[in-house]
Amino acid sequence: MLKKLKKFLMGITKIFGKKKEIKLGLYGPPNAGKTSLANRVCKDWLGEEIEMGSASAIPHETREIQIRDQIKIKKKGKELSFNLVDTPGIATKIDYEDFLKFKMNKKDAKERAKQATKGVIDAIKWLDDMDAVVVVLDSTVNPYSQVNITIIGNLAARDIPVLIVGNKIDLKKSDIKKIESAFPQYKVVGVSATKGKNVDKFYDALLKVVK
Amino acid sequence: MPHQCVRCGKLYPAGCKELLEGCGCGGRFFFFVKEEAVDTAKEVTKNLSKKEKEQIEKDVLDIVGEEHSDKPIVLDFESIRVNSPGKYDLDLVAMFKGKPLVYKLDDGKYVVDIVSTFERRDS
Repeated sequence: MLKKLKKFLMGITKIFGKKKEIKLGLYGPPNAGKTSLANRVCKDWLGEEIEMGSASAIPHETREIQIRDQIKIKKKGKELSFNLVDTPGIATKIDYEDFLKFKMNKKDAKERAKQATKGVIDAIKWLDDMDAVVVVLDSTVNPYSQVNITIIGNLAARDIPVLIVGNKIDLKKSDIKKIESAFPQYKVVGVSATKGKNVDKFYDALLKVVK
Repeated sequence: MPHQCVRCGKLYPAGCKELLEGCGCGGRFFFFVKEEAVDTAKEVTKNLSKKEKEQIEKDVLDIVGEEHSDKPIVLDFESIRVNSPGKYDLDLVAMFKGKPLVYKLDDGKYVVDIVSTFERRDS
């Protein structure tokens, strides 16, 4: 009933021409570079040094949803306005012992594991709110993982437009072709978010995917 | 479907009074366990200390955003498995399906707590 009402109201909004804000979500496994990419987008288009979030080598650095409102991309006469939503990394297993390697103490590591688990729940909860999603993958890692397949499969089932970004192309082990062959029905762009490499192509692809 | 007290590991069948009033050990927090997963459930909680079990109770309440209440709470064992404090296995397929995570028991009935779990958010 509520859904029908919502649909009806959204229809009215459309008729009267009030454009709703596009929510662009960054999804992917931990440590793929979602926050680094978000920071790159902010830097490039908001012209500010303020970062969206802190990126780190320790997995599950982002454990809460982060939103940056009203980012406007303008390229070749095309324009795209959206709210950027950076989400915690999605994982099937979260083990505090993985964080101990990074010289974190046991108590903090357990707290991080708990927050990361909560983060996965939140990221999944938010998925239905997204108008388009950029799936950020680490191009040095085998893309055939349960996490990647589950995320992309669920986006397809929800009819949410998807762009796949293979991050870390500056690293030797990077293999964009492998991502392309894993998900042939999607556009895949290779970038280095931290180095700013190939990000222009990412913006071009974004303008095509998000309408 | 059986339910297992997180604190003492005792198994209870669905609909029994302990699920409404709390376990004999004082625990008010239960894992919801599928018949075929009973053995795994026993195994998982067998080796945990009382302190660890209490920590799990606290952590899970925190994760699902629930206030500590007197009402017993049942965690769906299928979506998130807490092996010990700080060690979690997540069933993404079940989670993406929007399967409710926590069932609250109230007046002898199951209430699916969609507000704090996997309600499809209004945009």
